[in-house]
Amino acid sequence: MKIARSSALLFLIFLSACGQASEDRLAGPVEISGDAIIEPLNGKQGDPVRGEQIFTSREAGHCVLCHQVARLDAEFQGNVGPVLTGIGARLSVGQIRYRIVDAQGIWPDTVMPSYYRTGGLRQVDHEYQGAPALSAQQIEDIVAFLELQTN
Amino acid sequence: MIRISAPDTAFEGEVIELKAMIQHPMETGYRRDSKGEIIPTDIIKSFRCTYDGNVIFEAEFFPGIAANPFLTFHARASHTGKIEFSWTDQHGERWAEERMLTVS
Amino acid sequence: MRRAYLLALILTGCSENHERIAEQSQISSADLRSGYEFLQPETQALQDDAFANPGYLWVDKGKALFNQSPEHGEPACSSCHSDDSRPVSKAAAHYPAIDEQSGKLVNLESRINLCRERYQGLAPLEYESDDLLGLTAYLSHLAQGEPVSVTIDGQARKYYDAGEDYFFLRKGQFNLACSQCHNEHWGDKLRGDTISQGHGNAFPAYRMEWQTFGSLHRRLRDCDSGIRAEPLEYGSETYTAVELYLAKRAEGLAMESPGVRR
Repeated sequence: MKIARSSALLFLIFLSACGQASEDRLAGPVEISGDAIIEPLNGKQGDPVRGEQIFTSREAGHCVLCHQVARLDAEFQGNVGPVLTGIGARLSVGQIRYRIVDAQGIWPDTVMPSYYRTGGLRQVDHEYQGAPALSAQQIEDIVAFLELQTN
Repeated sequence: MIRISAPDTAFEGEVIELKAMIQHPMETGYRRDSKGEIIPTDIIKSFRCTYDGNVIFEAEFFPGIAANPFLTFHARASHTGKIEFSWTDQHGERWAEERMLTVS
Repeated sequence: MRRAYLLALILTGCSENHERIAEQSQISSADLRSGYEFLQPETQALQDDAFANPGYLWVDKGKALFNQSPEHGEPACSSCHSDDSRPVSKAAAHYPAIDEQSGKLVNLESRINLCRERYQGLAPLEYESDDLLGLTAYLSHLAQGEPVSVTIDGQARKYYDAGEDYFFLRKGQFNLACSQCHNEHWGDKLRGDTISQGHGNAFPAYRMEWQTFGSLHRRLRDCDSGIRAEPLEYGSETYTAVELYLAKRAEGLAMESPGVRR
């Protein structure tokens, strides 16, 4: 009995030490397998046409601020992040999804924001508190768009 | 605030360069504030430059003119006289400054 | 059991700190560049034009204010500050600095307001008012060309450290630190815009986005908004500390005010 309780306690400490269990860190529950999130967020189905709009829109994801995709109808695409032309051929859907949801969970020093994160942030602008930068639907839309970028 | 660049002296017949800048927000009337409300138009509507009472340059301003509008133009010095620069906004408020040009 | 607890504690410590603070990065002195070098040629030309640079509207205003006696016969700034006595011609290049009397770190704006209060018996001027912008524009302009050089030891040390902490602190909904863009990604492009190194040597400056003149604190508030962090108050001790950190980081760059920036 004593051993079980100590293990349970240790497990809890370990969980909090590992930097936030999924329930605290992200806007909703996700299951991470390696460097991928296999299941669509909240069971949403992504629309690639909407995804392309979110990708290029200043008011939404505005991914072109840092990323380029060839043949995209958007001027002056940034280069802070890697080029995403053909990303659908290089990474699996699950891998793409995880990178948008919580890139900082994969690479702690990255400059890519974690778009589905709400927990453990500091000094968040009152306008953006309480919700992730992108909703589950928006992320699924972007994933659907990037999945089609195979060349 | 107003900034003027005008020579104090010139030779008769010499082409002089005049510059005038005024501090003004030139609010277009198309922008929205943080609450989503339209910020009302507030612009200068006209500029005029007279040389010894005669109009030598005139301009009508529209919302497309940037804030703190800056004009450069030329004139031919003919005789000693006062050069006056004046701006009028949409409310009829007027600002003016003058410089004396001595022509030899 | 103790070993397990210790391990857990270490794990907590490591991840917690790494979460808050961005990895230490620096710009080498050989790579140090003013924001001027990241401007389009047309914008550089505008800054260089002694008439067309709109910042001079505020420099002129500041010069007039500096030399005129305030409302009720109090001394003008110029009556205490001349070339022979308490010259202020290069002072702006050495701010922020510790105010002897209070022991606190002050920037140019607070220094001006302290003088108004102590020696002229006047109320402080508001941040972003034409009067305060005019005076800071005038004083900064007098130091144009002077290399930025500040003191960070003695009483200034704790402010420098606080400024450095803020610079490397991850914050906002995007969870980014200033250092990540300005030390690690300067020269890269955000859409069509090139990321600068984030120096303050051209401030107060005329920002095209504002279509008017503004202080470094206003720019820092915009920076924080950009990463979806709650901006701090004008005149906050933290932003003043960040000014000191930035000034030390920009050491050697020439003062450029009135600068013109995007």
